[in-house]
Amino acid sequence: MTDAGFTQVLGSCAGVLILTAVLQLWRRSLSGSVTLLALQGAALSALIGTIGVAAADPELIGVAVLVLAIKAVAIPIVLGRTAAATGARREDAPRINPTAALLLSAVLTTVAYLASRPILGAAPDAAQRAVPVGIAVVLIGFLLLLTRRQAISQLIGFVVLDNGIAMIALLTAGGVPLVVELGVSLDVLLVVLILRVLTGRLKHVFGATDLDDLTELHD
Amino acid sequence: MSLLEVGLVAQLALALLAVTAAVAAPTPLRPLLAGGATLLMGLSGVATGALALGGRTGIVSAPLTVGLGLDARMTLAPDRLGGLFMLLAGAVGAVAALYSVGYARGPAGSRTGCAAFAVFLLGLQLVPASGDVVAFLLTWELMAIGSTILVLAEHGRRDQVRSAGLWYAAMTHLSFLFLLAGFAVLTVAGHSSSFAALAAGRISGDQAGLAFVLLTIGFATKAGLVPVHVWLPRAHPEAPSHVSAVMSAAMVKMGVYGVVLTVTRLLPGGPRWWGLVVLALALPSALYGILQASVTSDLKRLLAYSTTENVGLILSAVAISMLAASSGDSAVAGVAMVAALMLTVSHAAFKTVLFLGAGALLHATAERDLDRLGGLVRSMPRTAVAFGVACLGAAALPVTSGFAAEWVLMQARIHGDSRDQLTSALLPAAIAVVALTAGLALLTFVKAFGIAFMARPRSPGATTAHEVNRPMTAAVLIGAAAVLALGLAPGLTATAAATALRSAGVVGAVGAATTTSAAAAVGTGAGWGVALPGIGAHLDPLALTLLALAVTLPVVLVTWLLARRHPRRDVDLVWGGGGVRTSPRMPYTATSFAEPLVRVFDDALQPTRDLRVTHAQESRYLVQEVSFHQHLDDRVEKSLYRPAIAMLDRAGDLARLMQNGSMHRYLGFSFVALLVVLVAVAW
Amino acid sequence: MSATVTTMLLVAVQCGLLLALAPVRVGLMRQVRARLEGRAGAGVLQPWRDLAKLARKEPLRAPGVRFGGALPVLLMGASLLLVALLPLLQTATLVAVPDDLFVVVSVLLLGTVAIALLGLDSGTAFGGMGASRHMTVAALVEPTILVAVYALSIPVGTSNLSAIVSARLDHPATVVAPVSLLALVALFIVVIAETGRLPVDNPSTHLELTMIHEAMILESSGRDLGWVEYASWLRLGALLALVANLAAPWGVVQHLHVLAVLIAMVALVLKVAVLGAAIASGEVFLAKLRLFRVPELLAGSFVLAFLAVTASYLTV
Repeated sequence: MTDAGFTQVLGSCAGVLILTAVLQLWRRSLSGSVTLLALQGAALSALIGTIGVAAADPELIGVAVLVLAIKAVAIPIVLGRTAAATGARREDAPRINPTAALLLSAVLTTVAYLASRPILGAAPDAAQRAVPVGIAVVLIGFLLLLTRRQAISQLIGFVVLDNGIAMIALLTAGGVPLVVELGVSLDVLLVVLILRVLTGRLKHVFGATDLDDLTELHD
Repeated sequence: MSLLEVGLVAQLALALLAVTAAVAAPTPLRPLLAGGATLLMGLSGVATGALALGGRTGIVSAPLTVGLGLDARMTLAPDRLGGLFMLLAGAVGAVAALYSVGYARGPAGSRTGCAAFAVFLLGLQLVPASGDVVAFLLTWELMAIGSTILVLAEHGRRDQVRSAGLWYAAMTHLSFLFLLAGFAVLTVAGHSSSFAALAAGRISGDQAGLAFVLLTIGFATKAGLVPVHVWLPRAHPEAPSHVSAVMSAAMVKMGVYGVVLTVTRLLPGGPRWWGLVVLALALPSALYGILQASVTSDLKRLLAYSTTENVGLILSAVAISMLAASSGDSAVAGVAMVAALMLTVSHAAFKTVLFLGAGALLHATAERDLDRLGGLVRSMPRTAVAFGVACLGAAALPVTSGFAAEWVLMQARIHGDSRDQLTSALLPAAIAVVALTAGLALLTFVKAFGIAFMARPRSPGATTAHEVNRPMTAAVLIGAAAVLALGLAPGLTATAAATALRSAGVVGAVGAATTTSAAAAVGTGAGWGVALPGIGAHLDPLALTLLALAVTLPVVLVTWLLARRHPRRDVDLVWGGGGVRTSPRMPYTATSFAEPLVRVFDDALQPTRDLRVTHAQESRYLVQEVSFHQHLDDRVEKSLYRPAIAMLDRAGDLARLMQNGSMHRYLGFSFVALLVVLVAVAW
Repeated sequence: MSATVTTMLLVAVQCGLLLALAPVRVGLMRQVRARLEGRAGAGVLQPWRDLAKLARKEPLRAPGVRFGGALPVLLMGASLLLVALLPLLQTATLVAVPDDLFVVVSVLLLGTVAIALLGLDSGTAFGGMGASRHMTVAALVEPTILVAVYALSIPVGTSNLSAIVSARLDHPATVVAPVSLLALVALFIVVIAETGRLPVDNPSTHLELTMIHEAMILESSGRDLGWVEYASWLRLGALLALVANLAAPWGVVQHLHVLAVLIAMVALVLKVAVLGAAIASGEVFLAKLRLFRVPELLAGSFVLAFLAVTASYLTV
């Protein structure tokens, strides 16, 4: 793979990652969000794969396949089923309106860009230049967690956050050992499964999955 | 005595003449005589300013009897930069004085009113001529006092005037206090009060930082930046219109002059955070100002908020220049500074016309609420043309002065150094803010012109309106011609701005970059256009106009041919929009025009709405009357000033405990004070 | 023949081409839509027949309307100027009038203002409503346009459109770079918004709750209406051609030759036809957005443009 081509593919993957994160803020329909999440997982996997191919590192390619299986296929399927089971279809009233959230994401991207400069040093290589995107994805994931009310949206935000962390780890450390990535990815899957059960309980008790109802529990 | 010195003395003499005319002339002749003398004073300011801009030097100096512990002389010694601002003040003053000949009746045309106007203009023209701190502060106070009196001119007619005057006086004095403190720091640090010595002294370090902050707050208050803008939307609407024109077009610019003076001459080469401070003040001001302007329906209040917006834009250009200079990008620094000065000149031109035009509307219809105007293009064609041209300028559309100035600003922006981390993060945000500001300005001025002059009259005043008298129309038309001329030949302004920055005293800073590069970065190019060789861009509005005419000509020809065959037919009702169209309640008002915007920016503006539906008595399904009331507060004022004022009130209440009117208690205070002093001395 | 004269000729050819084809493009879009919806459609030349009919009708003027005749001509002039400024056929532009993007945007806004004033001038509730909505959308669109332009201008170092287009011709890889894709999508959304297509405005509706463009021109008739319609078509045509040229710059004349010019003309027609047909088929599946959700769409496009700028720092 040529150097320019490598940069190009890397840039495109990073672009899809951030774009899917931003679009999460925009979309209200939960099924749309799940599709975006799958796309984001695929982009992350492609990113890992690209770096793996460029570095001729079979372990990284293995990680890429794993990430594809878990984040682009397994988690979206589980989430999709959860959404279908609870009957929640739309994120109707996010805490801040989508316009403000979108503008906020622009601000967060700038912050990510500024904050990553000291970390990267004077002459970052092509992969390291994409680190701000990872930080921005993490921040947007947090924003999703903060502003969404539906339990499933919370889960989506959590996975976005995790994707961002994986991306940063990959780009700064030049890759995560297979074992670690395996552990983290399976952890995320486990969390999703547990939360799925909890969401079901929530639905059973309150008849809805709005997390604001949890404040009722204090007494 | 050099020519420049003659000019300075002539201004003083003509001011004296104007005051004499104002005091001595009989009432019917007073506006003519006083206005005439003031007009001459303005013109002498233009001439003197042009001389100073051209590089002539001269010093007029007078000893001061008040001892300030310094070498207390006041010196007037305008440099090139000062010359540009003096020219500006003089030109605005002259047009406003011409207007006042026809306009100044009632309180504004009283002895006090006419004399205060002359004093106000004199102060305004001499501020940029000042060569030392003492002269600067004295002329600044002259300007402040004159304008305060004028703001209060109509206090007998409307209650709001008194409150506006109080706000204005308080904010002006706040500004003065900060300036006094800032200059005191400078004078102590530089061991001199003369600007030339201060510039040569190269003050740096903490003292420079302190002085910069104090002076910036002081000048920002005068310039009307958020959050110290609160006096603008109160004082501008309540002052007589020719006074608001001068206040908005020229006086506010003295705040800009002060900032430019500070960062280019007195304290050049400041650290990077200075630029950030100015940018942080400027960008929110631009956005907040235009947002408020776009949703208000009081024409003069709208113009006042638009002033805040424009000053924000000007100072954002100054800030970009400071940032570029500190990262060593001299070409961009030069272009940005030139953009700031071009914006200043352009704003002065169109805002004069807009305020004078608003005054004409007020004069003709006794209304200043856009919701009650309308259809005036028929009854006031000349004012409409001038106001329309100025609106184009304010919306920065081709080919007006505003367009050329904003083009230079955008060029400076997009050529900002993208390798520099901070600039590259800030530039897109700055571009977005300026673009949103420009978009909202477009909406605002389409509203101002379209609602006031088009459609149908919405009140009896607007129905019976008539064109205003000759001096008034002449003044607005001259101003509109200037807006167009500066737009068609922006090379003039650009060259003047570059020359002003070449000023002998203006070195370093925006600096080392600007002075050398402003001239190099700006050339007049071919014809009358602006060329920016430093960043490789040029603009020739004249050629653009020719091209526009060339492509429009066939359209006009075809229209003419068609019109010969099928002439226009007048009908009572074309389509009618589904109802009887002759009712003046049918057309959209300014409030309804801005309604979508209010909804979009609901969170930022937080309007209070009150909707009352009265049902018919027979059935609650029938609506008898719907009343809708919407009120928009200035949020900064509400959340910042009201609590502060309430706190001051409480402090005042507490103080009343000490001061209860008992003579014995006051004597007791004196006695205790005496004792304390004696004990302190004995110690 | 001197270079200036050639350039002027080419500009004239460009104007002529767009003038001739703008109504055809509208006809094509309507036809595509009609076929997809299972209707026969009126044929691609129907807009031309409409224009001819409007030109023969006498315009009506209601009392109080002042500029009903002048504003449409101004709008048409602004649209033509826009066409003359854009690098649609060639990258060599008039020396005195470079196709600087800020100038282009200002000329575009001049047209926007003309049509908004037309709406206000009519003095009806509908006219004002359309003008108010139109200006609100225009105000919100502007940040996106300028930031997208900034993103496109960073790699080239100038805001001249022709320089951007020829840089893309020289380095085709930059066309598919993330920066350029994001910026193009953002630009495309604002073009849709600014020219009143779905999902921002429905060009074929007369429902008062939703209309923007139609509300402003409701009171125009005869040749006034003809000019307004023609100018709006021309605007959309020019902007689509610009987006098409930025997305696929191939075919644009760099080295002057008669054959090259002919190829450029054919390429331009094809590009615009494909883009127009794509939009028309997309519109079949779209519903109009609620007016107060339009800001969301525009904020979204703004974020795309903003990300494009950020992305350009990553690849520099």
